[in-house]
Amino acid sequence: MSPRQRRVLELVLDNLVWFMLLAVLAIFSALIPNYFQPGIFANIVEQSSVLGVMSIGLALVVISGHIDLSVESVAALSAMVIGILFASSGIGLGLTLTPGWLVVPVSLLLGLLVGGAIGALNGFLVVKVKMNAFIVTLASFIWVRGLVVAVSGGRSAQNLADEVRWLAIQRVLGIPITAYIAILCFIGFSFMMATTRFGRHLLLIGGNQAAAFRAGIKVDKVLIIAFVLAGSVAALAGWLLAIRTSGATANLGAGMLFNAFAAVVIGGVSLKGGVGSLPGVYAGVLLLSSINTAINLMGLPAHYTQVIHGLLVLAAVLLDTFKQTIRKRLA
Amino acid sequence: MRDLLKFGMVLLAGTSALLNPAYAQEKGTVYYMVPTLLDEFQTGSVSALEMFLEQVGYDLTTLNADNKTDLQQSQMNDVIALAPTAIILAAVDFNALAPSVDAAREAGIPVIQFDRQISSTVSDFTSVAGTIEIGYVAAEEVERLLTEKNGSVSGKVLQVLGDPGDPYTLDIQKGFEERMAEFPEIEIISHPAMMWEASNAGTIVSDQLLANPDIDIIFSHAAHLSVAAVAALESAGKQPGEVFVMSSNGAPVGLDLIRDGWMQVEVEQPLYAQAAAVAMFMDKIVAEETIEPGEYDVLGLPSELTIEEWGPTIKIPGAAITAENVDNPAFWGNLQPPTEPITPVE
Repeated sequence: MSPRQRRVLELVLDNLVWFMLLAVLAIFSALIPNYFQPGIFANIVEQSSVLGVMSIGLALVVISGHIDLSVESVAALSAMVIGILFASSGIGLGLTLTPGWLVVPVSLLLGLLVGGAIGALNGFLVVKVKMNAFIVTLASFIWVRGLVVAVSGGRSAQNLADEVRWLAIQRVLGIPITAYIAILCFIGFSFMMATTRFGRHLLLIGGNQAAAFRAGIKVDKVLIIAFVLAGSVAALAGWLLAIRTSGATANLGAGMLFNAFAAVVIGGVSLKGGVGSLPGVYAGVLLLSSINTAINLMGLPAHYTQVIHGLLVLAAVLLDTFKQTIRKRLA
Repeated sequence: MRDLLKFGMVLLAGTSALLNPAYAQEKGTVYYMVPTLLDEFQTGSVSALEMFLEQVGYDLTTLNADNKTDLQQSQMNDVIALAPTAIILAAVDFNALAPSVDAAREAGIPVIQFDRQISSTVSDFTSVAGTIEIGYVAAEEVERLLTEKNGSVSGKVLQVLGDPGDPYTLDIQKGFEERMAEFPEIEIISHPAMMWEASNAGTIVSDQLLANPDIDIIFSHAAHLSVAAVAALESAGKQPGEVFVMSSNGAPVGLDLIRDGWMQVEVEQPLYAQAAAVAMFMDKIVAEETIEPGEYDVLGLPSELTIEEWGPTIKIPGAAITAENVDNPAFWGNLQPPTEPITPVE
């Protein structure tokens, strides 16, 4: 293989998930009626916003060599807290602030505080108490969802304040502002991972925690920050979710954890830690949303959609495994 | 050591007091096996059953199965071991719970099916609105709305189901599509909102509005799904009434959407009446007395009690809620429980 061919192959492998996304979009556009239209692509970007933001937090912890199963429940709790305070129907208290736009930063801040607190607790238990991250965050996944049910009494909060709903309704170039918030998050966190000391330390810790410690990296501090960030980012996802659905129900976001994991893995993040980039994760999220939209448009019998969804995700992960095999041969 | 013993005894006494509340149970404890607490109807059913059973002298304890069949089976086994006065079951899975029903009845514990009918085995009593019948009522409303909108019974209906693994939503779909089959000019597009999750419903509606911009009606199988559907309509720049919205179960959020003009019809499940019917017949069920078929007045709703292969069954008619009658306090979505105590059937 000539050096030029090798460079091209490396480029393709490095960005395989983006090529997969393009291929999938092309195939669906050719085969599925009504798929090829700007509105559908805008929908895909919009649908990716919540899952995308949730996947960022999950990816950070996975890159550090740990796991966070609580992100889905944290998002739900953040959405419910915001729903209860700022929605006017159901169990919503309909709090208003003057001026009205204050509801945007205040609701966001409250959500981030909720998520950050749960992330800090997870981080403390994993790093300081030395408990297994899988068990700690599994417990959080359960108790935080339980808390959502408890504080809501199983009821819904609906009709979120117009000032905050505006973010889901107002469109720029056909795409709602919530989707731009998600894209900005990806850009910001990608920048953080690529250029800051924290990002490099996170990758090093995920690759070899003992070596990172010996190199003088404050492993405990970095890991706790990673968990706090995962919780806060999950809460941001919950904020976006509440805005998108104009409130919160007790089962809001149920099932998103598995899609977030699928997106992270498809996006090239190694579950063993130390490997992965956030742009790849965003491509993974877009890929899943493209598949989801295709299923919505195909008019398949309801009972088969889960089977098809699962098989398509499996196909995407198989392709990723194929990529790893080629990469090993190249090395 | 003595102090430790004292402390242990106090702790034991305290624990035992917690486990055995001081209040008197006139007629015993009834267990309610609720399928989930993640939906407003089920949450409402707990408080409604608690209220009506208390009026006739029973204490209610509720166990939540989190929509897990195996968990509900285990709960049934545990409750059978406690030998309660009766078990009220709203099954997660209609067939999988049948052996547990048999086991309870063999142990001498009467089993009452609430809201979700099990027809594969015999139960002591069944109180349902009839999920298939809810589909029928929804179909009648679609017929009416399309005639109003298009001048004939023709058009496009987007049906947003709940989770496709839940027989409840499949029964509504069955009833709805059975009646809609009489109108070949109606196109029905059906998609499931996995896990009954609202944002999944919103995604379906967003996509379908682009693929089928001529959708006339969006029919969701629960009010909270309609909230997300309305949010998607709003994001797509639609105005209230531009696309008709319907849902079933009559939850408070659905009634709010009717008041806001976004939703045209809610097919209500008569939650209060369903719960009241159980309490009205509880004494007869526990005493193993014969339950007579016929028409009964349940909170003002004429309800038919029939003796089926699976036991005595009372079906309470679901009503269509529209802008004209949305404030009727009889609808459970208005959260105004009846103030008059119910009278047990003699």
